Amino acid sequence: MQAVPEAAAPEAAPESAPESAPETDRVGIAGLKLGYQIAAACALALIAVAACVHVAMLFFHVAPSNTLTKQHGDVVDAWVYPEFEQNWKLFAPNPLQQNIAVQARAELRTAGGGVRTTDWYDLSAQDGAAIDGSLLPSHTRQNELRRAWDFYVGSHDAQNRPVGLRGQLSEQYIRRIAYMRLDRERPGGKGDTIARVQLRSRTTNVRPPKWSEEKVSPKPVYRLLAWWTVTPDDLPLAGAEGTAR
Amino acid sequence: MTRHELPLAQGLSKVTGFALGPYQTAVVRIGFAGTWLFFLLRELPHRHEMYGPDGPWDWGMARQLISGNGAFTALMWSDGRLWFEVVYALAILSSALLMLGWHTRAMSVLFMIGVLSLQNRSIFIGDGGDNVIHLMATYLVLTRCAQVWSLDARRAARARGQALADSAAGAERAGSAESAGRVERADSARKAGRVDPVGPVLWSVLGIALSVVTFMGELSRGWLLIFWGLWLVHGLWWAVGRRAPHSELRKLLDVVANLAHNAGLLVIMVEACLIYATAGWYKIQGSRWQDGTAVYYPLNLDYFSPWHTLSELLSSNGLILLLVTYGTVAVQVAFPFTLFNRRVKNVLLAAMIFEHAVIAVVLGLPFFSLAMITADAVFLPTSFLRRLGGGVARARGALVSRVWRRRAATADRRQDEEPAEHARVGFTP
Repeated sequence: MQAVPEAAAPEAAPESAPESAPETDRVGIAGLKLGYQIAAACALALIAVAACVHVAMLFFHVAPSNTLTKQHGDVVDAWVYPEFEQNWKLFAPNPLQQNIAVQARAELRTAGGGVRTTDWYDLSAQDGAAIDGSLLPSHTRQNELRRAWDFYVGSHDAQNRPVGLRGQLSEQYIRRIAYMRLDRERPGGKGDTIARVQLRSRTTNVRPPKWSEEKVSPKPVYRLLAWWTVTPDDLPLAGAEGTAR
Repeated sequence: MTRHELPLAQGLSKVTGFALGPYQTAVVRIGFAGTWLFFLLRELPHRHEMYGPDGPWDWGMARQLISGNGAFTALMWSDGRLWFEVVYALAILSSALLMLGWHTRAMSVLFMIGVLSLQNRSIFIGDGGDNVIHLMATYLVLTRCAQVWSLDARRAARARGQALADSAAGAERAGSAESAGRVERADSARKAGRVDPVGPVLWSVLGIALSVVTFMGELSRGWLLIFWGLWLVHGLWWAVGRRAPHSELRKLLDVVANLAHNAGLLVIMVEACLIYATAGWYKIQGSRWQDGTAVYYPLNLDYFSPWHTLSELLSSNGLILLLVTYGTVAVQVAFPFTLFNRRVKNVLLAAMIFEHAVIAVVLGLPFFSLAMITADAVFLPTSFLRRLGGGVARARGALVSRVWRRRAATADRRQDEEPAEHARVGFTP
């Protein structure tokens, strides 16, 4: 006869059981009465199927486009989005081979009623300087501007026309970041306000390794966006978090 | 009986009878909760810029995007500044408590809510590390990840010790120790329930909170089902454990909990394999990974080179770069297959953990690396984890006893072994 629970020796350690588990009879499902056994079997089947389906969906989500996903990709998407979305093409198939710097300048309305345009501020260089020598770089320095620009480029065509809602949102996002960062620079004097903001990107090829015979152009390529007028919605950004490092 | 000989039956009783990998799931719990906690504390000064209602990705923009994809985030329930602070604080608190294993089943749900709320609020601020934490936070909810190295385990052990003291008269019955090991968990849970009033209070408070949110109509049908389902199951578990701890229903619940745990653990392991397989197989297709210079480029990107001299040093030797480049791809592609061979798996695991530790510093990706090392840790052998836990417990015991000794010196004579012994309980329940 198996031990009845009342005879339990309380000092037995819980974790000793799973590791040394040669004695397996009457444990788990086998130790249940028939009716409960059926219920447990149903749970087993349900959980096993759910786990298998989930794993299969994840697999097809990360796999390249293929026969199955071309026909039933919507099923995979419906399962995976929004909470199980993932992308593990880390530095793959090729790592980025260009330094992309986002720069911004402001048009100021001066206290005296005049208009003045500032020089370009290299916002990415500021990020780089903040990251230098840091053991714990902040996401605001490493991801914010970099990913916002990726988002913008990914949702615009070459003529800077937005594609869909994401295009519009990306535009708003990158401009608001630029406005916030420019405001921190205090580009004007007392009483000056930022009226408009302009952005550009400066893409430079990483020079090939010194043992390589490859030749890439050392000349940077610029992409210039249109001037954008600051709206009242953006004003709360000013002066906020002025000490970000 | 022939059942002993059948591997299928053995496997069946294993997955229904035990929550496997107690140390592995505990290290995953501690790792992800700790990484997220560390991250939230590090970004505390930047929290408004990243997730706040008036950040560059403001509340209205987030709402437009989320109305399209239906992602879950409590931060969309209100655009108030106070609400944001409350959510951020709760995210910190739940991470800390999950890491410690305090009422773990409830904390794992709150932890998931915290992770999803912040990350889904501003999806463009995150990177691969956030992505790993996001996925694992949902899987952790399914696991019994506090069997060891947790306050819950310590409380259960104390309750057991108390029960032992209570029934000291019936000591001779304890002879059947080995056969009793499997039922004592139920026993301890029941005793813990009796000793500790916090569980029911927590459950009630969360029930009220969930009712309010339900009444506000902020949750989708799917999330309502998940949250109410979890809440009811937690309540049922507690009630059955208290009223009928040795009933068949209690045993059935135990079996289902084990099944959910083991499925969750399996998915966590598959997820880690998918990460490596995807990363590896896509790299193989890239020309830079083929010509052996791929590692050179990230080292020369301004966003991933916090230590210029170190990056330059590493990227100046073509042969070393070739070895690292090929080695990375080989390890990533091979890893899932090496799980069938314990020794090779452990070697690769050590290599990957080392590489991520290097990436943390050289590429300036500490939180990504911590998350990946935690994902790797699910494959660490139990013997190693036990030794690690023992080492940590001893170090802590020594530290505690030293503090006590100092105190004792000022107060009066006091034995220092006792507190050290006390402190270790959680680690060797």
